[in-house]
This record gives sequence, structure tokens and C-alpha cells, in this order.
Amino acid sequence: MTSTPVRRPVDRLARVPEPAVDVGPYFDLDHGLVDRTIFGDPALYRQELRRVFAPSWLFLAHESQFVKPGDFFTTYMGEDPVIVTMGKDRRLRAFLNACRHRGMRVCRADAGATKAFTCSYHGWSYDTSGRLVNVPNGEDYPAHFDRDQWGLTEVAQLDTYKGLVFATWNPQAPPLVEALGGMTWYMDAMLDRDPEGTEVVGGVHKWVLEGNWKLAAEQFASDWYHVNISHASALMVMSPTGKGPKTEIVQTPGRQYTDPLGHGHGFPTHPKSRFDDRVVHGHYDYEALRERLGDARVEGPMTTGHATVFPNFSYLPVNGSIRVWHPKGPDRMEVWAWTLVDRSMPDEVKDAQRVYNLRTFGPTGIFEQDDGENWSEVQATAHGFVSGSMTLNYQMGLGLEAEDGVHPGTTGRLYSDGAARGFYARWRDLMNTPAWHEKDTR
Amino acid sequence: MSIHPTDEVTDTVTGADIRLHFEVQRLYAVEAQLLDQHRYADWLELFAEDLHYWAPVRTNRLRRQQALADGAPGEVAIFDETKASLAWRIRRFDSGMAWAEDPPSRTRHLITNITVRAGEEAGEYVAESAFLCYRNRLEREVDLYAGGRTDVLRREPDDGRLLIARRTILLDQNVLLAKNISTFL
Repeated sequence: MTSTPVRRPVDRLARVPEPAVDVGPYFDLDHGLVDRTIFGDPALYRQELRRVFAPSWLFLAHESQFVKPGDFFTTYMGEDPVIVTMGKDRRLRAFLNACRHRGMRVCRADAGATKAFTCSYHGWSYDTSGRLVNVPNGEDYPAHFDRDQWGLTEVAQLDTYKGLVFATWNPQAPPLVEALGGMTWYMDAMLDRDPEGTEVVGGVHKWVLEGNWKLAAEQFASDWYHVNISHASALMVMSPTGKGPKTEIVQTPGRQYTDPLGHGHGFPTHPKSRFDDRVVHGHYDYEALRERLGDARVEGPMTTGHATVFPNFSYLPVNGSIRVWHPKGPDRMEVWAWTLVDRSMPDEVKDAQRVYNLRTFGPTGIFEQDDGENWSEVQATAHGFVSGSMTLNYQMGLGLEAEDGVHPGTTGRLYSDGAARGFYARWRDLMNTPAWHEKDTR
Repeated sequence: MSIHPTDEVTDTVTGADIRLHFEVQRLYAVEAQLLDQHRYADWLELFAEDLHYWAPVRTNRLRRQQALADGAPGEVAIFDETKASLAWRIRRFDSGMAWAEDPPSRTRHLITNITVRAGEEAGEYVAESAFLCYRNRLEREVDLYAGGRTDVLRREPDDGRLLIARRTILLDQNVLLAKNISTFL
């Protein structure tokens, strides 16, 4: 996959470095303590755009959204608008969605197909490989103006993992598969059930929430705890009796995986603690899956669960919800959620998964409604002088993490803050480490 | 849209037309009251058994690709419901543990711009309307859901009541500007 990179330095002009805050004092993770300041402070927010989002691999899209050259999808990396598109060489690329002339977005459609991205301000036009191919009134530019120097700003690296497209601005980031680390074993319980892989249903759910993005990312990494209370009404209508799950299921055993790179995944292991759709459940040949993925994955992350790939990509392995928490300031996030299905599912099974996902975890979903209420409520009171600097308790499961001999890596109990502690350890370390762009002395 | 700018009220409008329009307007007013009073089980009785209640997502598309701007059947949707799945959602509200609505929101559904025309089947009508739903929640949360609805209304042979058999809701937002939709539109 070699091609002439059109990537430019993000900025050739010298930048005045912004002072960085040492976030170490906001954490005592060995004792499970987190200062609430990290959810509301504007300076910390700007610092996390520079040091958490810019250097990390971020989820962009699913490969199945791009079939033909010219197909594009627009999204965000942190707060930076990006275009993901398939070039004539059928290669996926991602560019900053900003004209090199005045910075206007060169594409204002959510998705579609095009031959070129033309800025509607002055007409600079870029092809699907990011090259600047047309500049109106070009004769009025100086002789040294070289169009080849002014292509769209391309991400430093783009790669896919089993259908999921990720990219990073960081030329020094390790390869994607290394950045995912031990999480891939768990991700495969969703991405590798089908030899043909996965695809997404057309369309993306997008909604806005008055809450810091970490509230959601952390919860999907490590919080089974809230399910029985926050989602009591949903559990009640979903249980066969209509009265809610039996105690043995509520007190269900399970494990929670904590990855040293900040990822996390919790999953019950009780065979009746299931949240999959009946049609979808009936579709699967569990014996074949045991052979393909092993008993531990079929009895663990394939029952149900929740996961976050650091920093802001989360998923629900059996609901088929994959989503990004786009940061929109310290107090706001946008949720962008896709519906994932296995490629070889019959159409009626795909449709059952689609409908089940929107009824449970769409913005009107019987689970999602209550999550939205929690996050916005937490954020609404995060700016008081006293309430905003409370010490929060992340002690659940402290000291109980170990290698369990069944699931790779470090796991703790299902009901644990373990992966949240891991998430914040990673966040703290990135926040306290100058990113590649700060070390660049060019 | 099926309305043509030259359509107008003329002498050919009959008393039956006026009666039908009034009937639909009254149906929607009653429906809005039931929703605003959180009487969802009663609200559900306004719908036919074979209901399809659907709110596709709205996307920004290039002008030459406008045909793709509204989500197609089978794509991700805000609602894609049967009468049974609406009943399931309503049972959740009645559980006493639906925290997103506890304390309950204050809502006001305004239904306007109504037009009614004959449907494809005998005894069916197509009613288009515009809605504005104001939600005020807790101390100062405000959400506005605005859009259009296209309903297929069917007259019940037994009692002559008009039931809503199909509803397509086009919410006039791309990113849903709310943390959720915990009412119906």
C-alpha cells in the first residue's frame, strides 16, 4: 500500500506552546480516588484534545460504508472535522475537512459519493486522494505557489481492524493492532463471529448530550454496576415474567477486563444473563462458534456486555451498537452510533438486530433514555465550587484484579471499577506526557 | 408532498369534507392531550393493530443526492415500531423505575397544518400535519422536537372510528438536539 503521501506538517508556523496542567494530583488510583475536576475543567479539556485525542488511534467508520471509489463519510476526530473517502486506487484515506485556503469545510454532506471536494467559498477543489486539483484565478498566485504543497491535511496513519476503520494524527503512534493490544481477543467476540465479517446497517444515530465524553466512555469500559438500577425498567419489560430478572441473574457472575492501554470490557458469564434478540440468538450456531472463538468467548463476551476502546469508541457486543463519543467541549458530547450485523446473516436476522438495537440503544431506546438522563444529570452539577471538586469513589473491586486463567490479561469481578481505574490511568499518563507535536522542534 | 399550490378551497368542498377535516383535527387534539397527560396506554388505543410507526433519520446530502436525505426503510431509525413494540415501551414507563421520566417531563404537543385526502384503499385517508413538541424537564432543561407527520388513517367498519394505521415522522433535525426522546411524536 504505497502511494505518494499528500500529508503536510499539521502546522509549519511556530506555535506558542500552551501550558500543561499536571493531572497527577487529581488521581489516587491505588486507592480508587478520582477528583471530579477532570469532568468539567475547560483547560483540562483543551489539554485532552492535544494529548489524548490527537495522539491516539480514533474510530472513524466501518469499511462497509465505502463500496466504490468516491464514496465518502464525514465525521470528527476529537473536535476536528474529517472526511473519510475511498480513492480511485480503492484505498481509504482520511483528511481534515478544512480547505487549506481559509479553513472552511470542503464537504458539508454526511455521506455520499463524489469525484472532488470543492470548497464553496473560493472554489479550491481537491480530488479523492486529497490533491489540490483546481484553484480559480491561479495566475494571480506567486510563482512559488505549488499546488502539490496544498493538498488536504491527511491523517498520519489509517488502518482497519476487522472492518473497523481507525486513524491517528500521530506519526509516531504504534501500529493499530498494537494500540488495540489485548483488547482484540475480546473485540473478536463481536467482529469475528462470522467468517465473512461484519457490516453496518445504513444510517447513523446521532444525538447530543450535556455530559463530558468520559462519563460515557468510562461507563462502557467498566460499569455493569448501574444496569440493575438505572435500567430496572428495561430489565423488567424484557424479562419473561415481566417482573424483572431473578436474583440469581441480577447477582450474576462475570468478569471485567482491564487493558493497560486504557481499554475495558465487562461481561456476565451466567448463561441466562442475556440481552440478545431472540431471532438473532436463534440464528447463531453456538457449537460452531465454540469451535471458532473458544468456550471462554462464547460464554463470556458473547452473552452480553459492554466495552470501550480507549479513548472514545465503545460497543455492546450483542446489541450490535458501535459508537463514538465525540467531545464537544467539557460539558457536551455527541453520540454517533452505528448498527453492526454479521455479513452472512439472512436479511430477516439483520433486520431483527437493527430493530432490536434501535429499541434498546437508539436515542429513544429503553436503555439509552436512562443513560442519557444519568450523564446529563451528573454534568449539570459538575461546576459548583464544592460539588465540582469532590473526590469520587472508584473503589469497587479494588485489589481483586488478577489473571483468571480463562480470559487473557488482567480481569476482575463483573461488578468493579477496575476498567475505569485503568481508563483513567491511561488518560492521566497521556495528559502528563507531551505529545509528538509538542516535541517536534521543526 | 402531494399538496399542489393551486389546490384551494372551492365551492366543491362538501360538508363531508369539512366534517372529515374536523374529525382528524379533533383526533390529533385528543392524541396530543393524551401524550401530554402521559396517558400512553390510552394513546395506544388510537392506533390500528397492524400499525407501522416510523421515524427515519435525516441526513445532510449533496443536492444531487437529495433522494437519500431521508433514511430508507430498513435503515437506522429513531422509531421503527409495531403496536406491540410501542406497548413494550409504554410498559417501561409504567414500571415506576423509568428514571428518564421520573420526575416526569412537562410536554406540549402542538399539531397544526393539517391536510387530509383520500387514501389508496377505500375507507383510508392520508393526513399530513406539522408538529412541535416542547419538553421542559427538571429545573431548566428544554428540548424542541419539530417536524412533519404523514398518517394513514383507517375508518373502523364496526364503530366508524378513525384509527391511525401508519405514521411516518420526519423530525427536522440531523443530530438529534436532545439527550433522548422519552415521549412519542
